[in-house]
Order: sequence, then C-alpha cells, then structure tokens
Amino acid sequence: MTSKESGIVSGKPPVDAGDQSGAEISADRTGISRRGFIGASVAGGASTVLPAVAFGVGNAAPETPRPVSTPPDAVKMEREVGISVPSVPTATVRRAASDLMVQVLRDLEIEYVALNPGSSFEGLQESLINYGERPNHMPEVISAMHEGAAVDMAHGYGRSEGKPMCALLQGTVGLQNASMAIYQAYHGHTPMIILAGNDENNFLKVHTGEDIAGLVRPYTKWDAQPETLEDTLVALQEAYRQSITPPCAPTLVVLNSEIQKEEAGDLQVPRYSASEVKAISQSQATIIAQTLIQAKNPHISVGRLRSKTGIDNAITLAELVGASVDSMATFGPMSFPQRHALVGTGYDKNYDFHLGLEIAAADVSITGPHLKSVTDRDAAGIGFGWKEDPNLKRRPTPDTLITEDAEASLPLIIHAVESRLTTSISASIKERVKKHSIKNRDNRITSLHKAVEKKRPGWHGTPVSLARLYAELWPMIKDLDWCLASPSNFTGRHHRELWDHDKPYSYLGQYPAAALGYCLGASAGAALAAKNRNRVVINIQGDGDFNFMPGTVWSAVHHQLPMLTIMHNNRAWHMELMYVQYMAGVRGRGTDRAHIGTTFRDPYINYAKLAEGYGMKSEGPISDPNEMVAALQRGVDAVKRGEPYLIDVLTQPR
Amino acid sequence: MMNKLNLMLCIGLCIVSASIMLSVLASDDPTINISASANSERVVSGPGKQLYYDHGCFACHGYNGIGKHNLANDVSAIMTSEKVYLAFIRARSELNPPLPSQKMPHYPESSLSDQQALSIYAYIKTFRDTPPKSSEAAALKAIIEGAQ
Repeated sequence: MTSKESGIVSGKPPVDAGDQSGAEISADRTGISRRGFIGASVAGGASTVLPAVAFGVGNAAPETPRPVSTPPDAVKMEREVGISVPSVPTATVRRAASDLMVQVLRDLEIEYVALNPGSSFEGLQESLINYGERPNHMPEVISAMHEGAAVDMAHGYGRSEGKPMCALLQGTVGLQNASMAIYQAYHGHTPMIILAGNDENNFLKVHTGEDIAGLVRPYTKWDAQPETLEDTLVALQEAYRQSITPPCAPTLVVLNSEIQKEEAGDLQVPRYSASEVKAISQSQATIIAQTLIQAKNPHISVGRLRSKTGIDNAITLAELVGASVDSMATFGPMSFPQRHALVGTGYDKNYDFHLGLEIAAADVSITGPHLKSVTDRDAAGIGFGWKEDPNLKRRPTPDTLITEDAEASLPLIIHAVESRLTTSISASIKERVKKHSIKNRDNRITSLHKAVEKKRPGWHGTPVSLARLYAELWPMIKDLDWCLASPSNFTGRHHRELWDHDKPYSYLGQYPAAALGYCLGASAGAALAAKNRNRVVINIQGDGDFNFMPGTVWSAVHHQLPMLTIMHNNRAWHMELMYVQYMAGVRGRGTDRAHIGTTFRDPYINYAKLAEGYGMKSEGPISDPNEMVAALQRGVDAVKRGEPYLIDVLTQPR
Repeated sequence: MMNKLNLMLCIGLCIVSASIMLSVLASDDPTINISASANSERVVSGPGKQLYYDHGCFACHGYNGIGKHNLANDVSAIMTSEKVYLAFIRARSELNPPLPSQKMPHYPESSLSDQQALSIYAYIKTFRDTPPKSSEAAALKAIIEGAQ
C-alpha cells in the first residue's frame, strides 16, 4: 500500500485481514464448539497502529499536467559523463540532512546498503561513508555491479536473517534494472527496504519521474515519496515497519536528491514505534491450548515463521504438548529444525488434532495475512501471477483458517498451555514424546539408508554426479555453522535427504518467482549475513543463473564474503534444452539442433578463469569426482577463513 | 473429461505398443535384423557416442547412462535387444505417437535412421556403472554413521 492507501494520511488504520478472525474450528475433530469459538474470536487480537504521516504521491492522480520529457541539454549531458559536478547547496551545511537518514538506518540496525552508484543519491552516499564516529558501519556500503544484484543481496540477507537490509538505486533506470529482483523478493515475502534516488530539478529527465515508485508498485508492499526531510525520516521508519510486519515484503522510499543535501538544522530523528503484529485473541489461544492438551495424539505442521524466536517458541510448544511435527526446513528458511526428535510422523499417524503454523492444511491453521489480502497495488490490472487457474488442484481449505500471525500467536498459546498442564498430563505427554522420539529416529535412519542407496549410481562417473557432489560436501560442513543459499531445484535437491537442516537459515529455498539470475546475488547476501556470525555459505550455482550477473563475484571478493561457490556446470540452460527437445521430437524434425539457443558451447565457459579475473580464488574445470573431493575440501577451508572460493565442476545435467 | 480421454489414450497406446513390440520380436524384418555384436564394433569408436550427444540423450539419461532414467548395466527392458529398442522408438514416433508431453522425444526415421538409432543402441550397451557399496564410499559411510 502507499502511505495514502494504508490510511496513514487520514489516521485510519490499514485494512487488515484481522477482520477474518471470526474463523471456526471444526467441532467434529477437535471437540470445540463452533459457537464457542466464534464468541472467543470476537475479542480479536491487537491491531497494528501506525503513525499518521503525510507523504508524497502514492497512487493519486497528479493535479497538474505531467511535464513532457525532453532530451538532456549540453550541461546535463556534461554532468552525466562526469565533466561537470552535481548541484551543491549554496550555503554551508552544518548538519547534513542525509546524516539524519543514515542515523535512522543505524538506529534500526540496518547492517548493509547495497548500491550501484548513481547520480541522485550522492548526498546520502557521502553520509553513509563519512557520517558518525564509526563511518560506513551499520550500515556498511556494499558495492554491487548491477541494481538487480543489489536487490538480490538484500533478498538473500532478508531470507537468512528475517530482517531487512537496504538496496539503494538510481532513479528510473536503477529501479527498472532492479525490477525483476524486486518481483522475486515480493513473491518470496522477504523484508527489505529499497531506496531510490530521484533528482527532479538538476538532472537528466529520463532518470526522473513524477511517480517512479509506480514502476514497481504492483510488487512492493508500500512506498512513499516524501517531500520534506522530516517526512523522509518518518518514511524510512515506516518502510522498515511495513517491511517486517506480516505479510513481509519489500518497501520503497523515493529520496529527493535535493533534500539529501539540505541543512538539517536542529531536527531530531523521530522516535520509532515498534511494529505491532496482530496475533490471535486470548480466547482463541485458550481454545487451541485446551485442544492440544486434551488430544491424545496432536500433530503440528510448521511452515515459514519470521525469526529464530518464532522457531524457538514452536519448539517449546511442540515439546510442551508432545506433538509430532512436520517441518518445512528442507524447503526454505525459518522452519522447525529438521532433526529435532519430534519431527516425523511420530509413533502413530492417526492424529486427533492437527495445528498448522503458517501452513494451511490442518484442523486449525494460523497462517498470517496473505499479501493479496492486505493490499492490491496492481492498479493497471496486470495480474502478475495472481490469476487463479480453476483447474488447478489445491490443498483443501482447512476447517479453520486464522489469518493472524502464527509467530506472534505462539507465546499466547504457550502461556495458555503452561497454565493448564497438570502433573499427570505432563507425565503422559512425556511418555508420548519418548515414543515419538524413538519412532522418528528409527524412521529417519531407515530413510537415510534408502537415500544413500539412491545416491550411489554414477558415483565414479565423469562428469560428476550431483548426488555425489552433495554427499561429499556434507561431512566437510556438517560441524560448521552453514547456510545453503542456492535454490536446489536444478541440482537434484539431494541435500533434503542427506543434510541436517536445523538452523533458521539452513536452506533459503527455491526461486520465489522461478526467475534466474537470483542465485549468486542472494548467496552473496546470505554471506553478508554470515560474515560476522562465524557462518559459511554454500552456493551450488547453476551456470545459466551465474551468467546473468557474474560481477557479483567481484563484490564477494571485495567484501570478503565467506561464500563457497560450486559451479553446477552442465553447459546448458538444461530445462529449456529439454523443452526444445520435446518440441522437436513431437514435430518429428529431429533433436540434433535442440542445442541451438539452449547451451553454452563454442566456446565453453571457464568459470574458474572468470572468477580469477574478478580476483576470487578458484579452480577447475573439474570433471573427475576424486579431484572434486579434494577441491571441495580446499574450498571449505577457504570459506572457514572467511574467503570466497569458486570451484568449477563439470556435472551431469541433473 | 480431458483426464478420461488422456487415460483412454494412454491405455490404448500401451496396448498397441506392447503388441507391436511382441510382433517385432517374432518378425524377420531385415531392416532391424542387425547383429548386435557387429554393430557394437562399428559404433563404439565414434558415431554412437556422437549421436548420443548430438540428439541430447544425455539430457535424461546422463552422459554415462545414469540420470533421470537409468540405462547403464542393461537395466532398461527397452534395451533387451535391437529389435525391441527400435520397435519402441518407432512405435512412439510413427505408428502410434503419444500426445505431446514432456516425456522422451519422438524419433521418427526421418530424423533418426535405423542405422543411427542402432549406433546409439550399441553405445548405450557399453555403459557400465560400478558404484561402491555405501560402506566403501567415505562420504556415504560418514553420512550413515553421523545419523546413528
């Protein structure tokens, strides 16, 4: 939503899916009366209260005719090519306005601002690198070679840490370069703050616009174009708050170039009011707690929560009530630890109560509001993947779907459970936990043996089998704090069966919008998160994806990111190669030309040399699996020292 | 409605394909009556490998016959004999082609001659995979032991 859409201008609270809190629980399976639950729901949860601030343009139609873009004159062109300098204030600036913008970001503990330098935010950039007692720290400037890479870095960081970092973009051009990455982050429900400089008066008109946020409005959650410094500071805080408030998503603030250079005078950074996330009501929590305690065999499914705190609370709840648990940790970040003793089907698959936390397939599911339900910013009606296919088979709607935030609701449920546990109930639960643990452990070992058997074929083959690559890597990293940042849908997903996903960031998941070019930047962003946390990042990198923005290799070297990149070098956009093969075969015209436009041949690309050119230690290409094992160990040793490393491995297609 | 139609077509295809393969096995058609051993000697040194690559067989079957659908070690029933193999390919592509799908591409004779197909066949027959036991591969052993 824009500031106006959110109701901020008028002081009206934003439209919230909390209106749907009157959901019912099935009486059949839970023993809870629908009437009772409806009554309990009336109390509702706490509403998000946001400050009243008047911002810029939003979706409102301009009252005056828009100016027609004209070609740049000679003076402006001189500036663009660096012959002349941008405008500077005529009076001495004692306290730069952009210093206060940096202070807002610092207070919000934004660690990084990734940018590709532009000509509309030199004020802010100068403050980032020079302001304060510890300049260029919290946030630190990260050099990106492309605006898309800057946003992808913020995406990887956001998925890894559950909180935003910033991407700073240049006007219309930078925003458009970044648009695909923003679209991907939006579908990934990833918190991030996008800042776009806009120089309305003194620069190339083609880099400016009346409402440049409109370029990406359908796939950002909130934007503002403040017209004063005071509003800018509040907008930055609001962008942060909106980004981390469920449903999480990218937000955008358009920064006026001239405001950045103003004298701030005695203006103070406004006080930040923390986001209030809407939870279920106390009455709903009580009913859920009672049902969990009364159930003989409860089961909890945990999807993607927002933070480690949420995961810790989910663990507490499962252990308190002795529930077996489904985890989504092998599918993406912020879920229940995969190898926790309660994860699995448990000793009995006949569950008498199934609770879903951010998963909508249970007797009661607390799923949080969906982006589409909160705001529809697609004024042009483009659609952007929201169109429902009537023939698509969907999971059945759960008996009760509560669109409040699961993570915010967990403390209420835990408290309600704890206050109702008796000694005898606790003893019974303890016994159930023991039985679950034994059965889950047995199942896990059986599954692992089966998985290992499946990975053996092609073990000695050359090029290297992807199953072997994942298998060989695991013993080398299992005792480290690691994060697999790369999507694995094109590399066989072997980690799901072989590795232990026990951290919130163990696996950052698939491409949210199924668009290539994301993997390298997102891995670098995850490595930014890992850098000062004694963590290493694994990036099993498709070659097709790599070639979108290979310059990120330089960023990883420049900032010394602990990122091990292992090329899945199958020398093709392999999925598309197969699509063309199918089509040529179906038409009976032969498959021997299907490589045209789908492969990297003539010449092959040498990724080790490419990385070397960017300054990254590297080796390869390697097609012998035994040579790969030794190379992997050297790579792991490098990232343990905090150095990025690339290994070019020639692999089987899949 | 479409699902029922697809199901009926699939069943029909299976029946027709099976009957064709059986009849081919029993036939003396000279066009597919090529000695496997002679063919193998002819192709392993070159054209079979090149054709396997050029026609993208590796996409699903890997460069060594280990992939989405394994071929190494003669595990595929379709590789029982040249006759069965050719019958399978032609049945799919010419006699009763299935609806367009993301399955194995069609190979009509116009795009892949019998001789070329048999060159690929002979090359595939050379695929041998001898993976270690899980207890003999250090990484697999470590994975198992780590879970105990």
